[in-house]
Amino acid sequence: MIEIINPGWPSLIVDGGRFGEAAVGVPPSSALDRYACRALQWLIGHAADTPVLEVIGTNFALRFHHAMTCAITGARVKATLDDQPVRPWMSFQADPGSLLRIQEVVEGLRYYIGFSGTMDLERVMNSFTTNLECGFGGYQGRILKAGDRLAFTEICEVERSAVPESAIPPMRPPHRLRVVAGPEISFFTDESRNRFMDRDMSVIYDVSAQTNRTGIRLEGEPLCFREGVERSIISEGILPGTVQIPGDGRPIIMLYERTIGGYARIALVVKSDHDRLAHMKPGDPVLFELIGIKEASQLWEATSRSMDSLDTSIRHIK
Amino acid sequence: MNLSRYGEDGIRVLFGDVIDLNVHEKVRRFFYFLKSLQRPDIVDIIPSFRSCLVRFDLRQTTYEQLSSLILEAQQQALSVHALPAPATHEIPVHYGGEYGPDMAFVRSHTGLTDNEIIDIHTGVAYTVYAVGFVPGFPYLGTLDKRLEVPRLETPRVRISGGSVGIAQRQTGVYPFPSPAGWRIIGRTEVRLFNPQEKPHSLLQIGDKVKFINL
Repeated sequence: MIEIINPGWPSLIVDGGRFGEAAVGVPPSSALDRYACRALQWLIGHAADTPVLEVIGTNFALRFHHAMTCAITGARVKATLDDQPVRPWMSFQADPGSLLRIQEVVEGLRYYIGFSGTMDLERVMNSFTTNLECGFGGYQGRILKAGDRLAFTEICEVERSAVPESAIPPMRPPHRLRVVAGPEISFFTDESRNRFMDRDMSVIYDVSAQTNRTGIRLEGEPLCFREGVERSIISEGILPGTVQIPGDGRPIIMLYERTIGGYARIALVVKSDHDRLAHMKPGDPVLFELIGIKEASQLWEATSRSMDSLDTSIRHIK
Repeated sequence: MNLSRYGEDGIRVLFGDVIDLNVHEKVRRFFYFLKSLQRPDIVDIIPSFRSCLVRFDLRQTTYEQLSSLILEAQQQALSVHALPAPATHEIPVHYGGEYGPDMAFVRSHTGLTDNEIIDIHTGVAYTVYAVGFVPGFPYLGTLDKRLEVPRLETPRVRISGGSVGIAQRQTGVYPFPSPAGWRIIGRTEVRLFNPQEKPHSLLQIGDKVKFINL
């Protein structure tokens, strides 16, 4: 068992996502940084899609009640285990009674903590991940609170290992997001489109404080609709990474909590840049660059390959 | 039927450009046909007013492979095959007052009284054109032209579960407390979504919904 001493703001249980019920509006609710999760699962000895903690903020603390292997990936943090520093992206051994505390988040926003055991949680619609808005999945369908105790059905022993520095992605702003055209790209004036996402002309947006797990709102130059064009669409399916432009012209990047949208979809963030979205903090500068679908597909192939080869790049520590 | 690519792993299958029962019937037939194939390379299908958005698994197929399969099967997909029969549901609603914070806006925008708004809103059986945005949220149409109002330019951050909203020619019910861009005119206590039991959503595409004034 582990006990949450300080929950951060917020922390919740996530996995690779909930699929198959999007026709009735059930969104993926996936971990936002999939690469970090994949690396974490290797570090703690789970090849399968096991649930882990997704945390924002400093002072997060938990106490171990069993001996187990633990690791932290995602944002680069300064953490201590019983006042001894532990490195992120590297597994470590915790003893019964050990206290893990996150002292500082150095780079990035969300970090992931995993354990070499199987958390005693119920699958809801085929996934352990938390749907916060609707209150199901994860731990009682909610964010974690101080005093929550997460039980494990089995705890395994794993060798200590580390992800090499070269395999840890950068998370520092500015965030340069590559996008492909969305279905309503023609709703916007050429000038506005260029200023939004042309490689050489694009303006800088800032991540708004009104940003959460559902979407990232951006502040900056509003997009201009062409004259005579509707400012919304007949509601239609969307996928994660869709950039919607509401009537006020300010972009919203949709994450993993929506299946349908009613605003013009100017673009989609390419899949290989999705993990970056996990680390966009209010105030961070963001730049967009429009690329072709062929290039986007090649980028994703490369990203998938590096995810698949994580198990071979992870080094065991003697 | 018109196919286009939606990002790396999506196919947008478009059946028309308007809110129309004939267009939607094609969406429904296509959705149930594609679902019945139980293809492991299809991750999810999102049917809505005029399209199905198909998300596929890039590890198992490509856009080219899946879209040519869809094109080849289109005759079969749109012909008559076994479809679930649409159900009819009655949803009781408390209109106006604290339950309908946008009633005043709707009055001033349409020039109608509360009673006229309620009479028009409860006057017809709506079709469930799509379920989504959040789990169990029904997009219902077609709303009477006299009640046509714009969405909020900046959506509200949070509204109560059960809120009944209108926007343009659509109406819907928010099953959970959530952000909302529609104008809220009332609230219901009917539970629209249950994550623990199947079917999870009370309403399925093609079903009919009639609102009752409490």
